[in-house]
Parts: sequence; C-alpha cells; structure tokens
Amino acid sequence: MKIELDHLTKNFGEFTAVDHISLAMNNGVYGLLGVNGAGKTTLMRMLCTLLRPTEGTIYCNGRDIWEMDSEYRSLLGYLPQEFGFYPEFSVQDYLLYIAALKGIRPVVAKKRVKELLVKVGLAKAAAHKMKKLSGGMKRRAGIAQAMLNDPQILILDEPTAGLDPNERIRFRNLISELAEERLVLLSTHIVSDVEYIANEIWMMQEGRIVHQGTAKKIIDSMPEAVWECMVEKRMVSVFAKKYKISNMKTDQDGAILRIISQGKPCEQAKRAEATLEDVFLYYFGEKAGDENDTI
Amino acid sequence: MCFYIILEKKQVMKMIRYEVKKVFSKTGGKIALLMLTGMLILVCFLTVKSVEYVDEQGVSRSGIAAARRLREDKNKWAGEITEDVLIEVLQKNREINASKEYQSTDYRENDKAYARKQGFSDIRDMINHAFTAFREYDYYRVDSVTDEEVGSFYERRIAGLNDWLYSEEAKDIYSEEEKEFLLTKYQELKTPFYYEYADGWKAFSEYAPTLIMLTVLILGFPVSGIFANEIQLKADAIFFSAKLGRNKAVLSKIGAGILMITGIYWVMVLLYSAVVFAILGTGGAGCAIQTGLGGWKSFYHITYLQEYLLIIFGGYLGSLFMLTLAMFLSASTRSAILAVTVPFVLLFIPSFLNDISALSKVLGLLPDQLLQMGQAAAFFNLYHPGGKVTGALPIIMTLYPILFAAMLPVLYHVYRKTQIQ
Ligand SMILES: Nc1ncnc2c1ncn2[C@@H]1O[C@H](COP(=O)(O)OP(=O)(O)OP(=O)(O)O)[C@@H](O)[C@H]1O
Ligand SMILES: [Mg+2]
Repeated sequence: MKIELDHLTKNFGEFTAVDHISLAMNNGVYGLLGVNGAGKTTLMRMLCTLLRPTEGTIYCNGRDIWEMDSEYRSLLGYLPQEFGFYPEFSVQDYLLYIAALKGIRPVVAKKRVKELLVKVGLAKAAAHKMKKLSGGMKRRAGIAQAMLNDPQILILDEPTAGLDPNERIRFRNLISELAEERLVLLSTHIVSDVEYIANEIWMMQEGRIVHQGTAKKIIDSMPEAVWECMVEKRMVSVFAKKYKISNMKTDQDGAILRIISQGKPCEQAKRAEATLEDVFLYYFGEKAGDENDTI
Repeated sequence: MCFYIILEKKQVMKMIRYEVKKVFSKTGGKIALLMLTGMLILVCFLTVKSVEYVDEQGVSRSGIAAARRLREDKNKWAGEITEDVLIEVLQKNREINASKEYQSTDYRENDKAYARKQGFSDIRDMINHAFTAFREYDYYRVDSVTDEEVGSFYERRIAGLNDWLYSEEAKDIYSEEEKEFLLTKYQELKTPFYYEYADGWKAFSEYAPTLIMLTVLILGFPVSGIFANEIQLKADAIFFSAKLGRNKAVLSKIGAGILMITGIYWVMVLLYSAVVFAILGTGGAGCAIQTGLGGWKSFYHITYLQEYLLIIFGGYLGSLFMLTLAMFLSASTRSAILAVTVPFVLLFIPSFLNDISALSKVLGLLPDQLLQMGQAAAFFNLYHPGGKVTGALPIIMTLYPILFAAMLPVLYHVYRKTQIQ
C-alpha cells in the first residue's frame, strides 16, 4: 500500500489550512504531530475523500483516489476527531449499520462485529445504547467501526483525546496491535502517544510538514541541548522568559526545570537526554511555558 | 450476475431498514407517530360526526345506527332523477312546509319537520342550485319552484352557467373557446342523474384533505431528518468515508424517505377509508359527483368512486412531491429547519393568495391542489397546453409525477457531493 500526496493544498477562503504537502507513505505507523489548528484534521479529511483539495492530488498505489471513488474507500478506515454516532442504536446495531455502509455482507459482518467487540473490550456492552457508553468506550466503538472492513489504510484523528492515562495506554497498545500489515496515520498533539508506536513522525505546523523522520532522527535534528536544573521558585519566571521550559516540577526546596538551551542555563545545570517532547516544545512551543498539557 | 444483483438489493434494503430505524428511534420520530395516530382518530371522529340523522323527535344523531337510518331514508329516493321524481319532491316539500311542526316558531318542532325532509334533502339541494343564479345559493328557493318549471331542471344547470359566463363578472375571464368548452362539458353530462345515498363518499371527500395535509405536515419532520441527521449528529464523516457512503447509502436514504412517505401515507388513508366506510357505508359509489352540493358545478364527469381514487392517488402524488422537495432542501442546506417548513409554505401560502384573482390560474396548478383533489375538481381554471382547453387536474396529474421523478437524481447528486468542512 502506497499513498502519495502531491502538492496537496486546502484553502478556506484566504486562509491556507494545508499548504503544498508532498509526501509518500507505505505500510507502517505515521504519527502526525502538531498544535491546535496546524491542519491535521483538514489533511486527514482530504485523505478520506471528505474534502476536495484546492490544489494537488492524492494517489493510492499510483491512482487518483477521487477517481477510484468507492474502490478507494473500501480500503479505508477512519476515526474522526469528533466521533459522531446514532445515540439510540445499540453498539452492535451501530457496528452492523456501519458494516452495511462499508458494503460488508451481512453474514461476514456479524462475525466481524463479534470479533471486534471482543478485541476492543466491548463484548459485554454490545447491547448497550451508544449514548450510554463512557468516553473511552465510545472511542473503542469508534476504533471498532474503523476496523470493520479490515482496512489497508487506517486514519485516526486524535484517537486518544479525552481519555484517562490508563485508557490511553490501553488504546495505544490496541493501535500497535492493529497496525500490522497496514498503513496507519494517527494525529495527536500528545507527544507520548506517537513516541513509542509511530515508525515515522511528521511534525506539522501551519499547514506544512516541517520535520519528518523517526523519533530518533527528529530528536537528533534539534540543534539545542536539554538541561535540568534546580532553581528557587521565585526564579522560575525569570528562566521562563529567557528559555523554553519543557517541564517543571516543584517541591518545598524549589523547582526542577527542564530547559532547552544551546549553552548551560545556570551553574548547577546537568545535561539530560532529549525526548520527542522536548523537540516538540522546541519547535512549536513558546517561551513562558504555556505547553503544560504536553504531559 | 443475478446473484450480485440480489446481493446488492439486499444491501440497500438493509441500509433502508437502518435509516428508518434512525428516524424512529429518536424522540422526534416517536412523537410524529403519536401525532399521526391522534390526528387519524380525531379526523375519523369529525368525519363520522359530520353525517347527522335527525330522528322523528327532531334529535340529531350520528354514528353507525344513524348513518344506517339516514341511508334508509335517502334510498327511498334512489334512482334516476326524472321530472316525475322532481315533482314528487316539490309536492312532499310543500306538504311538510304546510305542517304545524314546520310553521311552529319552536326550533325543536322545526327539526321534527326537517326529519321528514332529509330523505330528499340532496335532491332539494340540487333544485336550489338549479334554480338560483350560478354564483349564488338560496336554501329556500325550492319552496317557490313550480311543478311546471321543475322539468327544466337539467337545462337550468346549463343555462345558469351560460348566464354567468356572459355576465359582467365573467365575460372577460374566459375566451369564447373556453366558454364553449365549459358549456359543452355541461351539455355532455349524462342526464337524468342517477341518485343514491352517498354520504360516506361525500364525508370522505370533505375531510380527506384535512387528514392528508396534516399527514404531510407531520411527516415533514421525520423525512427531513433523514438527510440532515448525519450532519446534525456529526456522523457524516464516517458515513461519507465508507465504501457505499457516496452511492448506495445515498440511494437507501432516498429509498427510506419514499418508503416512509408511502407506508405512512397509505396506512393513514386506508385506515381512514376503512373507518369512514365501515360506519357511513359505501353506497352511491357509482353516482356522479354532480348529485351532491360540492360537485354540482364541476365540469369533470366522474363518479364518487372515481373521485375517491383521484383524492387518494392525487394525495399520494402530492405527498411524494412535497416531501421529496423537503428532503432535497434538507440535503442541500444540511439542515432540517428550512426543510420542515416546505410543506407549511406550500400548503398555507396559496390560501393567503386566494383572494387575488389574477393569481387564480397559477394557484390552480400548485401542489397543494393534489392534497385536495375533491375541491380541485370544482375549480373553474382553464389552461391551454398544446392548444387544447383543459382543466387543472390533467395538468397537475402529469406535471407533478414528472417533477417528482426529476427531483430524485438531483437529490442523489446533491447529497452525494457533500463535503465535510
Ligand atoms: N471549514 C473551515 N472553514 C474555515 N477554516 C477552517 C475550516 N476547517 C478548518 N479551518 C481552519 O483550518 C485550520 C486547520 O484546522 P484543522 O482542524 O485541520 O486543525 P487541527 O490540526 O486538526 O487542529 P486540532 O488539533 O485543534 O484538531 C484551523 O485554523 C481552522 O480554523
Ligand atoms: Mg483536528
């Protein structure tokens, strides 16, 4: 399976949400990383034929996906960022309906739904109404619907948003498990989601892919170093103005700061190993540490 | 090959089932069903109640027994309305008018007198019509019609039209050709009329428009939801990215809409017919509609049974047209709000414009006419499609099936091209 983006562009009026992206993807897990408004969802919608590009095209094994039409969509599984469903349907009915939309034969669909319900841990909730599910269960139903047609291309838009840490780890594992033998593209602004499971990471900013490669390659690409040092609490704001702080931990004695800087930020600072999170902050973060949600 | 066609049909059928389920699993859908049921009961009640029998004591009754007695009374006059019959009616009428009950100032006594007149009340109405000016109606005209002149009953119907056509009011409305058309129609009507009790049919055609219109108005809500709910629920992203999301799934939405309209329309109309005819009877099916007050002037030569068929099939066609238009609007605006107003606008705007006579020709062709074919059959709008004079009914019965059929592919393409922004 090979997907190529060729100068893919989407404008909303004057505004360019996706800006001339040219890329190729093969089987494997791709992590699309970017802050809010970077254009991740817009890019994914075009990949799902939900939105026509203003310019450029997408090829699937060399063929234009809009010309392939339903043939392309039969290869596709999609979990949108805002996962909408039919609240009065039971989980089972919901999945059977989506299976019908995907053109799966009823006999096959029944079997497949049963398997997937077990796989995503919803077997016991099969008869529950969709509206009664918890946030995490809804996401799992969402993943199950995306997997119904055993898609060659699986597109997940912020699949872990709003999940508690436990659920997130479970979800990550589920995705890794599902990722074999297919092309998975998942977007997030939570770095740890992709750090472990993505083979390749794309960092997206203002509609463009600004860095791409393995986690290691991206980390190595950062020209500055990561330091850890202990400072007095009153000094925190001084450092925050001067440096990018990727993390801060406070206790009675003071604050331990994780600082990204070319040179040593203070006397007692120690070099630390850079992580993807540091890099994310380095490229996308602003000084005065407003990126605390990158846990 | 055959196997695949069956398989694909099954797929679409399955999706249609889910579409219908989506609509009626929602509270709104359930409320619509409840409202339809309540409305059906109410309209049945009103219809049955409208046929009254006044007994010897002057007391009005309605219901099965009353309808049966009314039928018995009226059917004493069943048969061809010849001059002899008309004279008999006049004599009977005079006889009752002379009675002390009729002369009394107590209305209860008057009702007792009426009880004796109701057997020939329909024929009495026709005489009133025949002997008053075309655009007027005088309930007491019959009292002064003489035995000598009543023989001109059928000629008077034609003469009344003729006088009106050449009156100040109408002489410029119709061309000579149109006047000729109307007069010829009147002359062609087979006389003497065959008369029989037909109150079941008359009551049906009086109240059916209410039932059909309310059905369409209520159905507008669930039907508009079919195309708007994906967007409203944000389920559109998954819907349109699924393999069949831009072809068969759209077809099945259209299918579900038509199925819902068809199913509910016919259940309503047939249940209504069953109740009305079970209570009021189906007698008089073969009488011309001109034998009743509502159809006296009509230039369409149809029987009550034919009028009934016209009402129910016209109503179906009108429902299909209006509600498909609503579906089209909900598909293209992605919202149900504008769409549910379609039936309201189509039904109520014409009645506001009714008084503007310049518009009457256009109004006669609007789709609301399809929901009230009984009334439409009494309108005097004339048209010239292809140089031939004709009334509105043949035109709307050909125009709207075409428009309906033309809307379907457009609806399909509009929805199929939906983009998720
Ligand atoms: N339909 C639209 N009309 C106008 N602007 C839009 C539309 N959809 C998206 N945008 C704009 O395009 C930009 C990219 O939006 P997009 O939803 O793709 O970002 P994102 O990376 O998915 O963000 P988030 O992390 O918040 O989901 C945003 O600035 C957004 O305001
Ligand atoms: Mg997004």
